[in-house]
Amino acid sequence: MREIVFRAKDLYFSYDGKKNALDGASLDLYAGERLAVLGANGAGKSTFFLCLNGVLAPDRGTMLLDGELIGKKERGRLCRRAGIVFQNADDQIIASTVAAEVSFGPMNLRLPEAEVACRVEHALDYMELQPFRARPPHELSGGEKKRVTIADILAMENDILLFDEPGASLDPAGEERLEAVLDRLHADGRTLVISTHDMDFAYRWADRIAVFCAGRVLAAGAPETVFRDTRLMARTHLRPPLLLDVFDRLAARGFVPAGAACPKTPDGLEALLGREK
Amino acid sequence: MCRTSLSVLLTNGGVGSTISTISDGKGEGDMRHNGHGVRSVDHLAYCSGMNDWNPGFKVVLSLGTLAICLAADRAVVSLAVIAVLAWLQNVRGGVRLSAYIGLLRAPLVFLLLGGLAVACDISRVPAGDWSLPLPGFYLCTDWDRARFACGLVLKALGAVSAMYLLALTTTACELVSVLHRVRLPSLLTELMYLTYRFIFVLLDTYGRMYDAAAARLGWRDFRTSCRSFGGTAANLLVVALRRSRNYSNAMAARGYDGALHFLEEKKPLRRAQVAWTLVFWTALLAMRLAAG
Repeated sequence: MREIVFRAKDLYFSYDGKKNALDGASLDLYAGERLAVLGANGAGKSTFFLCLNGVLAPDRGTMLLDGELIGKKERGRLCRRAGIVFQNADDQIIASTVAAEVSFGPMNLRLPEAEVACRVEHALDYMELQPFRARPPHELSGGEKKRVTIADILAMENDILLFDEPGASLDPAGEERLEAVLDRLHADGRTLVISTHDMDFAYRWADRIAVFCAGRVLAAGAPETVFRDTRLMARTHLRPPLLLDVFDRLAARGFVPAGAACPKTPDGLEALLGREK
Repeated sequence: MCRTSLSVLLTNGGVGSTISTISDGKGEGDMRHNGHGVRSVDHLAYCSGMNDWNPGFKVVLSLGTLAICLAADRAVVSLAVIAVLAWLQNVRGGVRLSAYIGLLRAPLVFLLLGGLAVACDISRVPAGDWSLPLPGFYLCTDWDRARFACGLVLKALGAVSAMYLLALTTTACELVSVLHRVRLPSLLTELMYLTYRFIFVLLDTYGRMYDAAAARLGWRDFRTSCRSFGGTAANLLVVALRRSRNYSNAMAARGYDGALHFLEEKKPLRRAQVAWTLVFWTALLAMRLAAG
């Protein structure tokens, strides 16, 4: 098993002092993993991300970064390690040109200007944003803005990246592009955590799935295990991914080899069925 | 109707309608989101050919020219300022001349009306060199007053040109950074920076609310429009408040600790630009002396 980079134990957080947005959430993050976080709206995913990044201080509970306990005053350390790409790009973009926007995070890290400039260049190259560098963010399309927000976080060189529903406002081409970026980031060894409502994406992409419900993490494990837990699915109002559903129905009729694992893509399923023929 | 009035409110005056055609020539598809006037001026500044000039230098050039134009107080100097700046915007800035004149049209209308008021007098009996009989009174003027009004209009137009030099070539955030460099308190400059960004965010939100109201016949008549406008304005306030919380979260997530810092692109001051500016100003002063 990979080493644990971040561990949250029994986190409680309330915005208004009455209703708990986090109600005893516990979750481990493993180095370099791809974790998909599922759950209905208001289940506590975004609040959890904000705690993990150090923006919010949990009312109760412990957070460990690399095995070290993070006290309330050390929350600043968290945003150096974990970066959030917010759901709504317009809530994140603050500067008036793309290059200035990307420089905001590194400047806050109080790095020397030459280092900031270098990181900005790298992040702009990585997200293919060089042609837009001097443009104002309000002239960009939704997909371009999303890329800017990812470049923002890349420039901070965090090794844990949290994406809050990144596919929500993207067209299919934008989603494809996003997935390519996620693959590259994964290959670079970063820990990726994505909250999403797209079950098919979560199944295809993630190494592990965590399911949030009413401020708690009800389950965390391999995608197939989590999605096959019908009681969990019913309780959290989630549905299994299409491919897994089709696979299980085919398996029930004996169309797939016994004991075969469900493939992650339609191509994989076709290969499996072809071999059977 | 109300939507245009908001965007006009956000631009300085009634320029909104005239400028939406300008950026077409550049062939950029950026205006797809919205055609608001405030966006067009902003867009021009971003794609101006003079965008890579040092912003501090542009401020000095504009203000210096403005001061000379006002202090000289001679029609020939004003005309020279208007002509040279129009040429500069056209050749260096890449703004089409017709578009530039279109931009000047709105202030020109105000200036001409104001000039008319200065030049003319109302009298019960004919007076001055010319008088125009109107029912019940005469509109009169004489040579001196007309000349004075012309000079005034030209001077004001020269001043507007000098300000346009700044507005159409320098982005708002660069202006703010210049202000920051001349030691304006950072509370003010940061507020200006964020306000500028928020104008576009809220304009976008307002545009969507406007369309949503339109889809439910919210603007069908005056009464309904008033109610819809009130509703969207109130809603905008709520959205702005919520947005501000999201913003502060997003800023904190990137280590914001109370001071806004961005990396600024280096735009070096070029010697030739300074030299030409000095030549320009000297020429203006020489004209002033020659004009007596």
